[in-house]
Amino acid sequence: MKIKVCGLKYPDNIEAVAALKPDYMGFICYDRTPRYIDTLSADALATIPASIHKTGVFVNETAEVISQLIDQYGFDTIQLHGDENAEFAAAFKGRVTVIKAFGVDNDFDFDKLNAYASYVDYFLFDTKTSIYGGSGKTFNWRILDKYTLNIPFFLSGGISLDNIGELKNITHPQFYAVDLNSQFEDEPGLKNIPKLEKAFDIIKNRTLQMKYGVNEHGYYGDFGGAYIPEMLYPNVEELRQQYLNIINDPDFKAEFNDLLKNYVGRPSPLYHAKRYSEKYGANIFFKREDLNHTGSHKINNAIGQILLAKRLGKKRIIAETGAGQHGVATATVCALMGIECVVYMGEIDMARQAPNVSRMKMLGATVRPASSGSKTLKDATNEALRDWIANPVDTHYIIGSVVGPYPYPDMVARFQSIISEETKKQLVEHTGKELPEYVLACVGGGSNAMGMFYHFLDDEQVKLVAVEAAGKGVDSGHSAATTFLGNEGVLHGSRTILMQTPDGQVVEPYSISAGLDYPGIGPQHAHLYKINRAQYVSVTDDEAMKAGLLCSQMEGIIPAIESSHALAQLEKMKFNPTDNVVICLSGRGDKDLDTFIKYFGY
Amino acid sequence: MNSEPLTISYTMNRLNQLFAAKKENLLSIYYTAGYPALNTTVDIAEALEKAGADFLEVGFPYSDPVADGPTIQHSSEQALINGMTLDHLFEELTELRKRVTIPILLMGYFNPIVQYGIERFCKKAAELGVDGVIVPDLPMYEYEALYSTHFINNNLSNIFLVTPQTSPDRIRKIDELSNSFIYLLSSSSITGGSLQLTNSIEDYYKRIKAMELKNPTIIGFGISDNATFKKACEYANGAIVGSKFVKLLAEDDYMKKIPAFIQNIRP
Ligand SMILES: Cc1ncc(COP(=O)(O)O)c(C=O)c1O
Repeated sequence: MKIKVCGLKYPDNIEAVAALKPDYMGFICYDRTPRYIDTLSADALATIPASIHKTGVFVNETAEVISQLIDQYGFDTIQLHGDENAEFAAAFKGRVTVIKAFGVDNDFDFDKLNAYASYVDYFLFDTKTSIYGGSGKTFNWRILDKYTLNIPFFLSGGISLDNIGELKNITHPQFYAVDLNSQFEDEPGLKNIPKLEKAFDIIKNRTLQMKYGVNEHGYYGDFGGAYIPEMLYPNVEELRQQYLNIINDPDFKAEFNDLLKNYVGRPSPLYHAKRYSEKYGANIFFKREDLNHTGSHKINNAIGQILLAKRLGKKRIIAETGAGQHGVATATVCALMGIECVVYMGEIDMARQAPNVSRMKMLGATVRPASSGSKTLKDATNEALRDWIANPVDTHYIIGSVVGPYPYPDMVARFQSIISEETKKQLVEHTGKELPEYVLACVGGGSNAMGMFYHFLDDEQVKLVAVEAAGKGVDSGHSAATTFLGNEGVLHGSRTILMQTPDGQVVEPYSISAGLDYPGIGPQHAHLYKINRAQYVSVTDDEAMKAGLLCSQMEGIIPAIESSHALAQLEKMKFNPTDNVVICLSGRGDKDLDTFIKYFGY
Repeated sequence: MNSEPLTISYTMNRLNQLFAAKKENLLSIYYTAGYPALNTTVDIAEALEKAGADFLEVGFPYSDPVADGPTIQHSSEQALINGMTLDHLFEELTELRKRVTIPILLMGYFNPIVQYGIERFCKKAAELGVDGVIVPDLPMYEYEALYSTHFINNNLSNIFLVTPQTSPDRIRKIDELSNSFIYLLSSSSITGGSLQLTNSIEDYYKRIKAMELKNPTIIGFGISDNATFKKACEYANGAIVGSKFVKLLAEDDYMKKIPAFIQNIRP
């Protein structure tokens, strides 16, 4: 997210604001506002670092005067804030960056922007007033959903420390920058530096304002952080410094959204399962991640991280995989981008998920067996971390779930959050409102669940249910029900809840579903569990297998055994007939046919 | 999360006394407690002291040692099978200070310490005469902000690692937070590799030396014979041998071979 501070006029104040390193500083060259720069000397702008765009703001000014002021003050950007038409803007295109501003109200006709599309670099949406901005009021930001052009925009008008947290609700892919002005002043034109500092902090880490989001040190309450050896510090620190800038960049968002749409096949449908609804006495919806390319939600994260790796200049990708779904997703995106791919997989998992090993190889990846420890997912993760230690410069590690050192849990959650973002919109179409009563998802490391919960976290009335794998029963000694059997500790770089011996040795979990067979959960889940924002339950192998069969025969959908765990939870819940219930169908069952066949004897 | 301000108010421990008295060719040995068998920790320490080692790192095993190569992974796995736990190790160490005078560090991953209780761990270790700890997956921010008081209150030195990729600013900060020595990794690698002296590694050693840090530096990872030991000592105050010694412990009659092993590394 870029930041523009607008309406500066005093030399000392200009210097102090420049020290905060905004991306744009705006100078108002319109004499009918109290922020008019008037006789401000050009010297006051000369000391502004080149990385900050100096922006001249004009209202129905003549081209000659604008030209002259561009030269006088060294503006590299102009903002046309009056009724200038497209041809007028076109005359400056190429010479300076051109921002065309519009006052927006509920009746604003976004079609009138079309004429400008080829001639401006950005739009700026301000609250509509009769006096060309400066009202100190916000407009209804929801209206931005009507804006469909591919030109990034600045958001302006009344943004203050009181409402800045709400910016996170604007998920529009072209949302490029925030314009800060009247609400950060001691008097018109004189900016309050501490207030701006606070706003910068919040904007640069947009989740800080999210009640359940990560803080700047990577913690969710007591959980998270980055418990990594020094050998990994530079890799993780590079990611930490870059990930928000990269994933909030409009180019990145455009490429990400394009691939999600045209390669993955998103949006995935929100399917109203009628026979299930009848059976369970509520409106049951399936979020169909099983229909994604490669067959599960894992591809959302793999696409996001490969685009990030490219922007970090990485030449080689490593990944860990358990069932092979994340390995296949990673091998797929590496093939797509022509980047070398090495996937670590436990020796035991390679034997029990042989078809996915072949798929990865066919996609051009190298599959390396992890033969240490228990030879399953956690050991594959260890081997991937060891590889990353030995290859700190050219390699990016694509972690497959919301686990690992900060920033991974937050980054992967953001890439998966597309699941709940779409769901909210689709629910409006189905039910007329965006909030359901219940949201259910299975939890291995927790990425499909976090993606499914993400945009509902702050809507406290929505009940979130996370389903863990109980294996042969929570008390059987063969289980992966982490919140029931685990306690607090450190696993794979984050402080979280994990299954372990009293001496702190990690315990090998068990589940019939290889994707849920992990001894920990992501730190954000540990936090949601501890503060009771989500309910953590568990489902046995037998219950899940039965649910998988039921879904196949009642809805004609063969679900992954992981997702079958979420479906099985329906049996244990009581609903009101009007309840809307969304279940994340995280993957399809093709990969599990063998297991289903053996289990049921088909 | 409590983050009390950090005040460094140690009294000199054995490590500080050693580094004050001896500034060159210090030799430290790492071995995994419980390998090859339980109840050998103090015997091995005593033999190493007699053979001339200057200080020791006693590893406590962990199921998921991400910073370690195959040799130490194997010794950790075997030690766990043998039944080694922190409780058991502390029991073995009750006679440590009756038989061993050189400084002893405990080295291991953070999770077993969290389970034992961080404060309880520090108290117990100090009580038994341990001088410091090396916890590779407890990095600087988490140490300083969340846990340092327990180490400081118990006069335990916490040793930080530095790699060729660690930035100068960070090295300065590590130097500030350290009070006995800084552990320089010979390269960005897991344990058990071999010291490779490329130009860039020599540059890195020279760069560190030129920083004139207040703490002594000891080079580890990949030191396995006299040649690599000597090379390391050109740039640092000493070096640590780990995997090579752990391999010796797999041989028959390893106790008898310890003096010759030390002689070979540092004649
Ligand atoms: C279909 C499917 N669902 C769920 C999971 C569990 O992972 P997570 O909890 O990160 O969503 C996996 C993991 O392989 C999977 O393949």
